[in-house]
Amino acid sequence: MRVWDGLSSNSRIFFDALTSEPPIAYMTENQNLSRALVTRLDDLSAITLFDKTSVADIRLGHPVPFPAKSPTSLDLSSYPHVTLSSNHTIAARLLVGADGLNSPVRSFAGIPTRGWDYDRHGVVATLKLSRGTGHSSENPQRVTAYQRFLPSGPIAFLALPGDYATLVWTTTPPQAMRLKALSAEDFVAMVNAAFRLDVVDLDYMFTLDSGQVGELEWRESVQSSKKADVDGEIPQRVASVQEGSVASFPLRLRHASTYTTNRVALIGDAAHTIHPLAGQGLNMGLADSRSLASAVEDAVRHGADIGNEIGCLDRYNGEMWMRNNRMLGAVDKLHWLYSAKSGPVVGLRGLGLRTVDALSPLKGWFMRQAGAS
Amino acid sequence: MAIRPTMARSLSSLLGIPGQYRLSSQSSSVNAAEVSHFNNLASTWWDPHGSSRLLHQMNPLRHDFVASCIESQPDPTSSNHRRYLDVGCGGGIFAESAARLPWTERVVGIDPSSQVISVAKAHARQDPLFLEPGRLEYQNKAVEDLPVPRIPEEQFDIVSLFEVIEHINRPAPFLSSCLPFVKPGGWLILSTIARTWTSWLTTKFVAEEVVRLVPRGTHDWSKYVNEQELRKFFRAQDGWGRDGGLKSQGCMYVPAVGWRTVPGGEKLGNYFFGVRKDPKR
Ligand SMILES: Cc1cc2nc3c(=O)[nH]c(=O)nc-3n(C[C@H](O)[C@H](O)[C@H](O)COP(=O)(O)OP(=O)(O)OC[C@H]3O[C@@H](n4cnc5c(N)ncnc54)[C@H](O)[C@@H]3O)c2cc1C
Repeated sequence: MRVWDGLSSNSRIFFDALTSEPPIAYMTENQNLSRALVTRLDDLSAITLFDKTSVADIRLGHPVPFPAKSPTSLDLSSYPHVTLSSNHTIAARLLVGADGLNSPVRSFAGIPTRGWDYDRHGVVATLKLSRGTGHSSENPQRVTAYQRFLPSGPIAFLALPGDYATLVWTTTPPQAMRLKALSAEDFVAMVNAAFRLDVVDLDYMFTLDSGQVGELEWRESVQSSKKADVDGEIPQRVASVQEGSVASFPLRLRHASTYTTNRVALIGDAAHTIHPLAGQGLNMGLADSRSLASAVEDAVRHGADIGNEIGCLDRYNGEMWMRNNRMLGAVDKLHWLYSAKSGPVVGLRGLGLRTVDALSPLKGWFMRQAGAS
Repeated sequence: MAIRPTMARSLSSLLGIPGQYRLSSQSSSVNAAEVSHFNNLASTWWDPHGSSRLLHQMNPLRHDFVASCIESQPDPTSSNHRRYLDVGCGGGIFAESAARLPWTERVVGIDPSSQVISVAKAHARQDPLFLEPGRLEYQNKAVEDLPVPRIPEEQFDIVSLFEVIEHINRPAPFLSSCLPFVKPGGWLILSTIARTWTSWLTTKFVAEEVVRLVPRGTHDWSKYVNEQELRKFFRAQDGWGRDGGLKSQGCMYVPAVGWRTVPGGEKLGNYFFGVRKDPKR
């Protein structure tokens, strides 16, 4: 992984896996994960999957009188009742909200969130590289991830198998609009420019409605950045962009005030939404599900009701909330640090990157934090 | 034999946890004041932030202790169709959890407080599993009021008395009434608080007076029973505790952490005690 600062270009950091260390992180496309998970679900017998179905309504069961008219009748008044678009209704002993940023489960549970919008959008795309330049068995070293901190936000290039890569470009909403409105060729020119040109050149290219291809050619001819290309200090040249893969998302910080109430647990983006600059969003959700699963396992072993807070859910909330809160805070500070355009902070952050790079043990720790979770 | 020392009723209890057993006035070990105290607590029994919170948090340790007793047996573990009698079951915290375990065949919970029994019955209706006939049954009775079993099929693998004996006026006759309910090879398991300066400070002074973790009057320190006294009682019983069938385990509530087992803690405050009825040869 290579990380550098767009304004103080001599500060770079290389997160090369030391031979003695295990890999810091694995990069994979979402569809690989989804496919693996669906296959695993098929292997498990006690699971009913409702495909192509959405949750239409969530409410508590009917209240029952106390004392009960019939002492043996079931009382499901504390169970969330989930009605699906297929008209099924499911009474849940434990309802897990893994339903993303605008979680309907969270609204049902009345759990408030705190946070703010970054006034930034994340532009994502799947990039195609020139034939034979991507990662392959003939080209095993080409797995490097690149991240350059531009003043509007970081642009990241993540290698995929074959001649493909993923782009995550954090930028202002107007620039994101501009990128999405460009022709495929001009979009590709902007991505190549963002890893090669000075910030002033890039800013100028954002002011054009079209013609970025010619602009990049001319500016590169006078600047000559060929050497860097050879060294692998910047990513390979992008040849084209996969049709329909360009999308943008508003970036936010959100944290639910708690992850649990009676018979409800929130995990993943339903519980917390983070700035993507450190690539931690999915990792945090995975750590949530691992923690919740082990709390449920422990509860089952002790005969507790898995929807009960003391018997089960408190442990999950206790294990993950503070830990995620620290991660949200750390990544938020990185965003503010790198969105400064000038002033002492630019020099300081360059110094920061160089210092981290010089101190091997510190770098090892940082790599483990980035990959772990 | 007398287990209790005679000691003036102490100041109200402190960091103790509310007990679950109060006897009706007709029974031998009765304490009418205790029964009415727990009647008043009934409505908050299942409130996660109510005064029974500590009992809820302690519950996993109870199962761990039962499991450690059974694992320590020299002969293979008892049946996969375990039957439990939970004496002083209160609102059903332990009884419900025992009834959910996969190896459980039947749980009977008894308590002399009619209010807590109705709370327990109402709460059990929240779990479809408990609608299985015979899986979980509550009776508003003291143990002295149950018919004494005559055959092993009427007895239980586990008879539990969690946070009970410290609320009983005369623990020795009370324990004696519980013994016939244990199957040969089964266990009598209890938890209680030792009568020490630490327990007075934590259960009476801190828990009841300073932080008001539990309602004032929940504990009567002079009724606390020490582990040594229980050991003495069971050594004197014929047919109990042979081959290591006598175990204890101290535990302690650590604020912001929860309950933790403490080696040697049975001499300080809260502890579990387990004694096995000798198996038939
Ligand atoms: C631009 C950008 C780049 C990112 N890059 C990275 C990265 O490089 N690495 C990384 O780890 N993370 C990254 N993330 C974060 C990552 O995408 C999220 O953290 C992750 O997708 C959260 O997963 P989730 O399952 O909790 O929520 P989501 O992925 O949001 O899934 C929620 C699901 O709930 C479903 N749902 C919602 N409402 C209903 C309903 N009523 N009925 C039925 N279903 C419903 C939705 O259809 C959706 O499938 C990035 C995020 C953004 C915005």
